[in-house]
Amino acid sequence: MNWFYFSSPSTFYRLAGWLAPWCFVAAALLGAAGLYVGLVQAPTDAQQGEVYRIIFIHVPAAWMSMFLYFVMACYGAAALTFNARLAGMMARAIAPTGAMFTFLALWTGAFWGRPTWGAYWVWDARLTSELVLLFLYFGFIALANAFEDPRRGDRAGALLALIGLVNLPIIYFSVLWWNTLHQGSSVSFKGTSMHVSMLTGMILMTFSFWAYAIGAACTRVRCVILERERRTHWVRSL
Amino acid sequence: MSHEFYVWMSFGMTAVAIAFEIAWLRVRAARARRGIEEERELEAQG
Repeated sequence: MNWFYFSSPSTFYRLAGWLAPWCFVAAALLGAAGLYVGLVQAPTDAQQGEVYRIIFIHVPAAWMSMFLYFVMACYGAAALTFNARLAGMMARAIAPTGAMFTFLALWTGAFWGRPTWGAYWVWDARLTSELVLLFLYFGFIALANAFEDPRRGDRAGALLALIGLVNLPIIYFSVLWWNTLHQGSSVSFKGTSMHVSMLTGMILMTFSFWAYAIGAACTRVRCVILERERRTHWVRSL
Repeated sequence: MSHEFYVWMSFGMTAVAIAFEIAWLRVRAARARRGIEEERELEAQG
């Protein structure tokens, strides 16, 4: 199999067009199942009551915010190393969705923090490093669009994305390195202390967000390809 | 404030954010297609 076949914008445009609707359908189905399990089947938490149900949005959004940044930085590295056009376009396509999930993680965290901690916001290491991640996304979007030549914008954005990678382990390990108000991880590779239905709802919502992110990135990269390649023969013949 | 307020503010904002992004994507796709039409018209005009 030729792995470089889909690295061309013209071939990837068609693949993304085929993939996006399936991803949105999968996201809707998984989201509906996750919401049913999370809001109907999962029991009320003994300590926090109903407010813990924010976990079904907050944790998947926080995971996606970090995962999408990592993927964006990988595409940035590919754009820098191989001077690949599509990699730079993909990094641009992922950034707004990553920023949205980071915003949602912060927003839902604030609305979970108020009834449990008594404050919407505290300058806790986990919250602050997640806020830095949101600013990194905004910085990437602003920097990538600041150049008249989009390829230069791709390279500048990729550099910022790679530098910002250092923030990911800070977010992840902040609850271990510092004495934070934010709780430690409830789920790890060693296991979990959560009720099975709570965990199921959270995993379903994570896969739903994942499918949505792929669908959104595919749809956006098609727009980026059309905008950049509009003078090429293959785009005009679409 | 009741716990329901915090839960629905979280789920509500998520729905709004996703709806906003999808609407934004549709607008951008339409603008990209319009750009191609303009290129075609320019080409036809010579």
